[in-house]
Amino acid sequence: MVELSVELSWAETTPLSRIYAAGRQGAKEHDAGLTMAEQTGFELVQVMARRGQWSATDQACKEAYGASAPAKPHAVVAQGALLVWSGPDQFLVLSPRGDGLERARLAFAGMASLSEQSDGRSLLRISGARSRDLLAKVCSLDLHPAVFPQWAAAATSIDHTSVNLWRSTDRDGEAVFHLLVFATFAESLWHTLLDSGAEYGVAIDAPGAWQA
Amino acid sequence: MRIACPFCGPRENGEFSYLGDAKPKRPAPDAGQDAFYDYVYLRDNVAGEMEELWYHGGGCRSWLKVRRNTVTHEIFSVEPVAGAGAQKVAS
Amino acid sequence: MSAAGQTHRLAAGGLIDRDNRLSFSFDGKSMDGFAGDTLASALVANGVKLVGRSFKYHRPRGILTAGSEEPNALVELRTGARREPNTRATTIELYDGLVSASQNRWPSLSFDFLSINQLASPIFVAGFYYKTFMWPSALWEKFYEPLIRRAAGLGRAADKSDPDHYEKAWAHCDVLIAGSGPTGLAAALAAGRAGARVILCEEDNRLGGRLLSDGGTIDGIDAAAWVAKAEAELRSMPEVRIMTHTTLTGAFDHGVHAALERVNDHVPVPPEHQPRQRVWRIVARRTVVAAGALERPIVFGGNDMPGVMLSSAVRTYINRYAATPAKRLALFTNNDDGWKTVEAALAAGVTVAGVVDARAEVSAEQRALAAKHGFAVLNGVVDHVEGGKAGVAKIVAALAGGARATLEADGLAVSGGWNPSVGLTSQHRGRPKWRDDIAAFVPDGAPPGMIAAGSANGEFSLAACLMEGHSSGAAAAGDLGFSKSAGNTPVSDEDAAYSLKPVWTVNSKHKAFVDFQNDVTASDIALAAREGFQSVEHLKRYTTLGMATDQGKNSNVQGLAIMAELTGRSIPETGTTIYRPPYVPIAIGALAGHHRDENFHSTRLTPSHHWAAERGAVFVDTGLWKRAQWYPIKREKDWLVSVTREVKAVRSGVGFCDVSTLGKIDVHGPDAGTFLDRVYINTFSNLAVGKARYGIMLREDGIVYDDGTTSRLAEDHYFLTTTTAKAGQVMQHLEFCRQVLFPELDVQLTSVSDQWAQFSIAGPKTRDLLRDIVDPSEDLSNEGFPFMGAREVMLRGGVKARLFRISFSGEMAFEISVPTRFGDALVRNLMIAGEKYGVTPYGTEALGVMRIEKGHVAGPELNGTTTAADLGLGKMMSTKKDFIGRSMAGREALVADDRQVVVGIKPVDKARRLRSGAHIIPKGATPGPETDDGYVTSVCFSPFMDQWIGLGLVKHGRERHGEIAMAHDPVRREDYEVELCNPVFYDPEGGRQRG
Repeated sequence: MVELSVELSWAETTPLSRIYAAGRQGAKEHDAGLTMAEQTGFELVQVMARRGQWSATDQACKEAYGASAPAKPHAVVAQGALLVWSGPDQFLVLSPRGDGLERARLAFAGMASLSEQSDGRSLLRISGARSRDLLAKVCSLDLHPAVFPQWAAAATSIDHTSVNLWRSTDRDGEAVFHLLVFATFAESLWHTLLDSGAEYGVAIDAPGAWQA
Repeated sequence: MRIACPFCGPRENGEFSYLGDAKPKRPAPDAGQDAFYDYVYLRDNVAGEMEELWYHGGGCRSWLKVRRNTVTHEIFSVEPVAGAGAQKVAS
Repeated sequence: MSAAGQTHRLAAGGLIDRDNRLSFSFDGKSMDGFAGDTLASALVANGVKLVGRSFKYHRPRGILTAGSEEPNALVELRTGARREPNTRATTIELYDGLVSASQNRWPSLSFDFLSINQLASPIFVAGFYYKTFMWPSALWEKFYEPLIRRAAGLGRAADKSDPDHYEKAWAHCDVLIAGSGPTGLAAALAAGRAGARVILCEEDNRLGGRLLSDGGTIDGIDAAAWVAKAEAELRSMPEVRIMTHTTLTGAFDHGVHAALERVNDHVPVPPEHQPRQRVWRIVARRTVVAAGALERPIVFGGNDMPGVMLSSAVRTYINRYAATPAKRLALFTNNDDGWKTVEAALAAGVTVAGVVDARAEVSAEQRALAAKHGFAVLNGVVDHVEGGKAGVAKIVAALAGGARATLEADGLAVSGGWNPSVGLTSQHRGRPKWRDDIAAFVPDGAPPGMIAAGSANGEFSLAACLMEGHSSGAAAAGDLGFSKSAGNTPVSDEDAAYSLKPVWTVNSKHKAFVDFQNDVTASDIALAAREGFQSVEHLKRYTTLGMATDQGKNSNVQGLAIMAELTGRSIPETGTTIYRPPYVPIAIGALAGHHRDENFHSTRLTPSHHWAAERGAVFVDTGLWKRAQWYPIKREKDWLVSVTREVKAVRSGVGFCDVSTLGKIDVHGPDAGTFLDRVYINTFSNLAVGKARYGIMLREDGIVYDDGTTSRLAEDHYFLTTTTAKAGQVMQHLEFCRQVLFPELDVQLTSVSDQWAQFSIAGPKTRDLLRDIVDPSEDLSNEGFPFMGAREVMLRGGVKARLFRISFSGEMAFEISVPTRFGDALVRNLMIAGEKYGVTPYGTEALGVMRIEKGHVAGPELNGTTTAADLGLGKMMSTKKDFIGRSMAGREALVADDRQVVVGIKPVDKARRLRSGAHIIPKGATPGPETDDGYVTSVCFSPFMDQWIGLGLVKHGRERHGEIAMAHDPVRREDYEVELCNPVFYDPEGGRQRG
């Protein structure tokens, strides 16, 4: 066997890390109408109930996460995780980097199929007074507060690509949206969001670990 | 056009793909070539109400049965197909 | 007060800001206007009458209207890359420094060479395209077409890329209201007060509609004050959104509407970061069309002469813009509304030369007005006007008794009555119905959820508009369950008489125009009638009536009326053509929105993209993906040199390629194996855990759909790959199989395409390189990791990966997958660790070369016409199970022995380049359909063979190895000898990939 002569480095990248620049973008003559950030450091597991196993999956969810599995388009704040509806009898378990996959495996063994998507998605946070105006340029959904309240969620499309969108707790009286997009599509969408939001002024926060 | 997905709610048609008439059923494996020929190629061309298959690929990825008037585009009902979601389906 | 040039500016009045003087130019001449002007009103104020030349006859034309329906006053706006042709001067808000030019004239507006077309007008009659340029056909390309192209068309498009940004957006509401005249404002107030979410779209830059031109009294206050009050109330409601500069252009299914917002057309350059225009898709549960009505001209001799203007437009210029189109004005009317223009002119101090009224009787008040101001009221019609390009000078009337009378005037206001704007309500193929009392079409039903109100519904009095607006706004909100009070109905006592006597055309010897923009005359319609083009749809196509940018808004009803009279039918019997969106012209750039240039579509980047870009890789678009095509290094003169180097490096050492673009699908569940047996032609339920297998899917018609390698990672978990091109479609197909065809199977599907960064590592030194990457505890020997093995491994440094021993290149090869976050690190590690082996990254071109050398089929062979047997893979079809496509694959024609099958092809002359698409015919045969044996599908320069080689689909191909045939390439005019051969050029025994 050949002696290894070089050290391998396993520097991680995120879907946006190679183009990400925190700071102001677009119009600067007024306060930023938008705040956006890439959210990192999460684990994401797709949970799909097996046939005839939705009740069991829901029960297991209550036991493991202290909350019902989402059965309609919304996001559920559970113990150590956010449960985001993604389709009939299926949802995503979003949790801080750690033992998320292992925990889901233990919880749903035999009743649901799991696929890890921690690397398959980029998670964006969009907030600010103009966040709905920005999203209106890329998203066909009605995000009026009466229609899309806090913790509403949707599986929809942006630029013909599937995304998961939900609204989390308001901050400073403004709505906060989260957007999960395919990792390989993230740069393209990021540019589109920056172009579309430029007229409002965009404050890009440093990338931060996701928190429910 | 907008289709009210039974899971997601009303969505614009860009989120959906159209397949066509929901009536043809895949024949049994031993049904013979003629039956498969009918299944693959023969379609009614209905001007009026028909049941169609649509795929909500831009949303929840469910296949849906949509009863629609092909002339006016009026939609009467939208239902999931048997295998959407996780309910058990008898073979 | 008014500037020297503003000879027609009134001393007082108007909604203009006289303190804000704006300078602009028209055809190079500098002029002044005021803030609040449109380009048209500023031209009127400056006494400009001639603004353009007509489309066909190049006749001098002036301004006809004051709105977006303007057919004549089309100008080129702005210069350079921002130059926009065919812009209606009536809709351009004046700004300082505006540059505009007339169009469709050469060399100048006042002397136009092609106005000679008028002399040739007998040949430019209806249908002239069909009649004149038919023969000889040889002249078309060289003579007729260039001639027509120079003569036709209007303005010039900019010859540079548009520097401005356009975008699209969605909006949602309960009640959408089109138009903010009295009807729209009343509707918005009612719906807003009831609690509905309201969007009020107004094409103009301010609210008010006709109230801005006609004034009046509402709720006891002046109309302008009422508009301001209504606007203030609407703006105080948080759920009411007012969108000015926004035209509702289309009504689509299920409450979806299109609207065009001209965000920054009123400034020379949009502010940084702002779009010029925005196309809205507005989803509304109810729609109130309060789009008003358009006045219609009357067809008489010389009715297109500058100075002839619609009566309501004259009123608008006088009242709203304080600019008079004439110093001495005459009126030709068939209804009472026209007289309002006389009153406006008199109030503004403009001399009235006389009124030609088609009705036998006018009211006592009208007679008194004439007497007081000393102008004539003539009972009759205008036969023709005289004058020239400088404008109207004389109006010749044909009186009811047969006599003639002449009025001297420099302007003629014309009112032929009003047409409700039935465009939006009729866009779902609804046909409007005829109302005799107003001699106009009104909406007859509308798309679900839509209702027309006010003038758009044929109710022309201010009182009725307010009432109908209020009630329809309240009803729309009430329908949706909004129960708060809609408040009081705004009232007006102005219930003016209209009493119209229809007059469509005057039987004049002079040329009389129906469609100004397309130069369709009354005699053209008569010709169409004589030649049998009597149906309205035929009339439209034959004469081009209504086919210009105004889409017949100014002409259709007169055209129909003339046709009705000629054919002895009523107007409703004659019918209308179909109304289609858009209601006003929309620039293609606005429809494209953000999707242009590099944003034409979204892009997907591979995990190694940034690394590859650093190395100077050349990228190719593959669907949405950008893939590295090759990696040039210094002094390589062309792509072939780079690609050949990459192939040789792999075959002699080791290389790697990013294959993350393959579709990757997790197939889970107890029935996953059974499921795959049904979607693939071969069997997967018996695949051992830790093994991979190549699979082929058919369409149900028996033709090959997709291929790829699927591995079994656990008893109930398969990892399926698809081709890059078909990834999305295969996912949809598999979901169809899971949900529709085989719902009894317990199987779950998830795309994991983006979760994994996947690289193919190939070449005889692959194992050496991998041993430097993979943890030493992993056994990579042929025994420990045999061909088609698939399992999770640990990499040095503690990263988990998946390793698949599969080969597309024919070399000893593995594919390695790591979670995407490590993809970039993995390529860098491969480069560092592989340095001593001369590791070489390779792109999609080298990948293609090696697969052709190895005889592997890909997209060009999986082309939607081939069966598994055609591809040499027929033996994979299981006979022991059902699978999609099984039955139909057995059809006679799909198993015929003369099908075109995959074969290798190489030119006999080794120096010759083989080309894809060349046909294969037997040597000595004459090329033709009957001798065509197939064609070349894929080619490459093969470093291994040291010549160009290819794959093809050729009849009896498998039995013809060694035969010399002809490649016939009619596109490149080449014929050359080729040898048909085994498609596996490289290592046919397969020892290298298994070693």
